Amino acid sequence: METSPKRNKKHSIHKNPWFLGTVVCIFVVSVLVNIPIEKRKYGLSQSNLTTDYTGLLPERIERIVKVGGRTELQKIVKEANEKRQHISIAGMQHSQGGHTYYKESIVLDMKTFNKILEIDKQHKRIKVEAGATWEDVQEAIQPYGLALKVTQSQSIFTIGGSLSVNAHGRDIRFGPMAGTVREMTILTPTGEIKTVTRNDSEEWMKFVFGGYGLFGVILDVTLELTENDVYSIHTEELKTNEYEAYFSNLLSNNKTSMHYARVSVAPHSFLNEMYVIDYKNTGKKDHQTKLKKEHGARIGKLALDIGRQGGGLEDLFWKNQKLLIKSLDGDEITRNNAMRGNSAFMEFTKPGRVEVLQEFFVPVEQFEEYIRELKRFLSANDKNDDFKIHNITVRYAAKDDYTYLNYAKEDMFGLVILIQHGLKEKEIQNAKAIIQGWTDLTLKHGGGYYLPYYPYQTKEQFRKTYPSWEMFHEEKLKRDPNGVFQNIFYDYYF
Amino acid sequence: MKILSELYVPLVVSVGQVVIFPYYILWLKEASLTFTLFTWLFAAFSFSAALGYRMHQAGKKPANSYIPFLYMGMGGVYLFVGNISTSFEVLPFLALLFQVILGFLQGYHHAWHIEQNTFRLHAINHYLLVGIIMVALSFVKIISPTIFITIFGATLFICGLVFIFMKNNMDSAVSN
Repeated sequence: METSPKRNKKHSIHKNPWFLGTVVCIFVVSVLVNIPIEKRKYGLSQSNLTTDYTGLLPERIERIVKVGGRTELQKIVKEANEKRQHISIAGMQHSQGGHTYYKESIVLDMKTFNKILEIDKQHKRIKVEAGATWEDVQEAIQPYGLALKVTQSQSIFTIGGSLSVNAHGRDIRFGPMAGTVREMTILTPTGEIKTVTRNDSEEWMKFVFGGYGLFGVILDVTLELTENDVYSIHTEELKTNEYEAYFSNLLSNNKTSMHYARVSVAPHSFLNEMYVIDYKNTGKKDHQTKLKKEHGARIGKLALDIGRQGGGLEDLFWKNQKLLIKSLDGDEITRNNAMRGNSAFMEFTKPGRVEVLQEFFVPVEQFEEYIRELKRFLSANDKNDDFKIHNITVRYAAKDDYTYLNYAKEDMFGLVILIQHGLKEKEIQNAKAIIQGWTDLTLKHGGGYYLPYYPYQTKEQFRKTYPSWEMFHEEKLKRDPNGVFQNIFYDYYF
Repeated sequence: MKILSELYVPLVVSVGQVVIFPYYILWLKEASLTFTLFTWLFAAFSFSAALGYRMHQAGKKPANSYIPFLYMGMGGVYLFVGNISTSFEVLPFLALLFQVILGFLQGYHHAWHIEQNTFRLHAINHYLLVGIIMVALSFVKIISPTIFITIFGATLFICGLVFIFMKNNMDSAVSN
């Protein structure tokens, strides 16, 4: 049977070298853009050792329970209490000091316990299960024109995780995160399910918030919300010795709702220059603008990688950062979107090295002297050092009366530091020595350090920073006599 | 001389590619991070092999002139894989590049190989040799897959040089 030339042509298109070449090119480009930015393997594992985000403190655990329902969870906790087993609680595992696991413990993976239970538009409240992320909450409330009062700078964390570390963010008006929780349901170490409020005589909230998963499982919380306001972004370059006055003025003037700053770690402007980003009220509300997605992560990562090289390249990175921030001046943004900072660009994978966070709190009025002393303590050009500082951002942490292990005993600035160092014993010891020295300097200025990170500090420094640790410990022993809720953090400090 | 190179070298390549595969795949799995990326890297190899095969069919110049460089190219890639020491950051990108190069060269080589007179003889020898070598390898306590990958890469590279050397000898014999 004869075939027509037209049909032949149709059949042989896939054999055309140009066609095949195009297929290869398109496919290669598709693969290239889909190579994940996050290349490290970390987290919960039953077959391998479990770690958290940094991959440090590996430990073997007994089993992982993907949390589905309250009854199942209650049974596990009651059984653990009877059999004196240990339980740890894990969310996204971005804490860095072994807070989410313990040797031979049962780890509750809360990520699957993430339902939005109720949205009360009239009273501006949301009831949500603790495994939901801030992003889940934002997606649920955005159509109602509502926004969170306090959240972290990124929305990738779970609600339970953020409350367990009593996180803080860019908001400067609503106080600590713990203060925005109206009601909470917890599963206590003895397996009781309790609904508690701020006025609860047993003060469960004071121990659970900033309690690092040691007092029970947060099942759900009712969060207070606010309007999804539209802000105008104001950016400005400052000298670090001008910041205290700038911020004091900002705080007394009600126009600004959110704020953060970044201090230079580049050799030529080290701790001298900084820029601020303020979110000023425009009076407009927003019901329509979609939640922004993370974009430009590869370019951001490339830029940060350049900065990571140190020396002149870090100066170049700082100059570019300033230009980028300047270009945002005058832009408008919704509150929800201002609370969704990017995070993927920070990913770092290099065998034998690690990037960790540390956060130091210093009273607002001490900032200038503190930075002056810090300049003498740290090396401005760390290009050839093992211990490298890549970023310092500054956030305001209002006085916290809601938690026992509170880092803000008065109004503080929190300096979040991104540090890179080697993983050889000598390099870790060097990092420990520098961070302990840094902590002493911070304590001298009436400040302290934050606990969700790798414990470089000594027990003595912990006790100085958190003088109510003894009370916290006594309550832990009283409320959890069989030590059901355990983690590496507790093991180290108590 | 021509018979020698035509008889043995393509066999070394086709048998070697199969034998080295379990070792190469370990490296590729490590480099590809996720199962999705792992399968996509194979797809990239396959599409590229189709292009290589077709390029040989469409070629006007005698393919024999490219074959030594093809062996050296394949050898170079395996040598690189065997000796690479770079961070995880770059590895998936390099793996993609290697898969595309290897796919193209293997497709081109296969298209050339089946046109050779010795191909039918090779087919049986190929299967027998692969079987025997695989059984033999099961008794070898692996120190590191990269050692085998490096040895194979070096072998291919040498085969390319041998091909060029023999071709030059034959050309000078013909002109004399």
